[in-house]
Amino acid sequence: MSTHRLIRFTLNGVPSKAMVSSQDTLIDLLQNQFDLKGARESCSQGLCGCCTVYLNDKAISACLSLAWFADGAEIRTIEGLAQGETLDPVQQAFIDAGAFQCGFCTSGFIMMTKKLLEENPHPTEEEIRHYLVGNLCRCSAYPEIIDAVKALSRRAG
Amino acid sequence: MAMADLDIHEPGDLAEAFCLLRAPDGAARPMGGGTALMLMMKAQLFKPSALVSLAKVDPRFHGVELSADGASFSIGAMTTFAELEHHADLCARLPVIAQTMVTLANPRVRNVATIGGNLAHADPHLDLPPVWASLDAEVSVIGPQGERRFPVIELFAGYYETTLQPGELIMRLHAPVQQGWRRRYVKVTTRSAHDWPAIGIAIGLKMQGARCEDLRLILSAATDRPTRLVAAEAVVRGQAITDDLLAAAGKAAASEVHIETDSRGSSDYKAHLLSVHLKRALHDLCE
Repeated sequence: MSTHRLIRFTLNGVPSKAMVSSQDTLIDLLQNQFDLKGARESCSQGLCGCCTVYLNDKAISACLSLAWFADGAEIRTIEGLAQGETLDPVQQAFIDAGAFQCGFCTSGFIMMTKKLLEENPHPTEEEIRHYLVGNLCRCSAYPEIIDAVKALSRRAG
Repeated sequence: MAMADLDIHEPGDLAEAFCLLRAPDGAARPMGGGTALMLMMKAQLFKPSALVSLAKVDPRFHGVELSADGASFSIGAMTTFAELEHHADLCARLPVIAQTMVTLANPRVRNVATIGGNLAHADPHLDLPPVWASLDAEVSVIGPQGERRFPVIELFAGYYETTLQPGELIMRLHAPVQQGWRRRYVKVTTRSAHDWPAIGIAIGLKMQGARCEDLRLILSAATDRPTRLVAAEAVVRGQAITDDLLAAAGKAAASEVHIETDSRGSSDYKAHLLSVHLKRALHDLCE
């Protein structure tokens, strides 16, 4: 069996294909072949959340996922959240709350927050902290991040 | 952190999987969700020549079912943690599973990691294996020689080692739903809340008035495999629960097992944690 193969998948709604090796992670695929830099490898261990993407609508750590198995899958990245020029409400809420400094972790926090609110539109602060336990912000913008999630929750009515 | 070169296979039936796993170098590895494997491969601690995905080998590796009499759950090895965490019926009947899940890694890992892969990895620091053992759960494994079923606690042989024979795959987990048992998983971390545990204690307790009718105490993370605390159980079983009795149980627990020192605590410290947390958890469960 070859250690390379052609995979076909949907990337942010667009039918796509790529030649991948058996060692490529999803992060390698997105960064090197599609120039998508929003999800980034940081801790390489699934702990920090910087590489969060959706695979078949589920949040995963792209640094721990082999691109090989993305054949037939639907992948969504932070770059696929905005509708044209209109940011996703979660993106806008992070800007409004000033929920970042350097921004390195922000795409991961936004991707996880979106999933949190899908599953639980009115989380308590404890539930917010718990759901985001696998996302690290070294600038420590945590209070503002929690503010952003709470603001979204209030708006959800 | 590049990984070594490898082949990837996605066999569509068990016969093909067994054939692929019989690679001459013995370094073909079955793969569930792959979360633990990816960590080891990226660190180049483990360099399989091939990965054999179990995603499509057999429908019996999938699905969560409650038996008609409601006495036990049967869980496919490829079931993800998130599927169990959000399984309303299982969470209602075995709330200790949901309680354990929320202490375990993060939602992304739980979306991918599988029940079978978690058992096969046999890292003694994992949270679910001691809980399954405390439930008297059993595993069904299937291999080239056929199928067998045995208590999950007999699966573990030491650090990253199982009693699985070459080619054998964990297919399903069977977890009894016992009435009247109170259950808890105590995860003691010494560095940060979501760190690996310094010790884990899975407890099942059945009371009859003020007296303990039966109990299960399984220790993890402090030993090279999930270990039943037989002596501590014997101290408590059949007795009326008092503070003195629980102190004696904690002491028995700390002296009956060989506790390993690691970066999360010395052997002595972990023994102390064990005696204190065991006593405290049993006390809380009695109330």
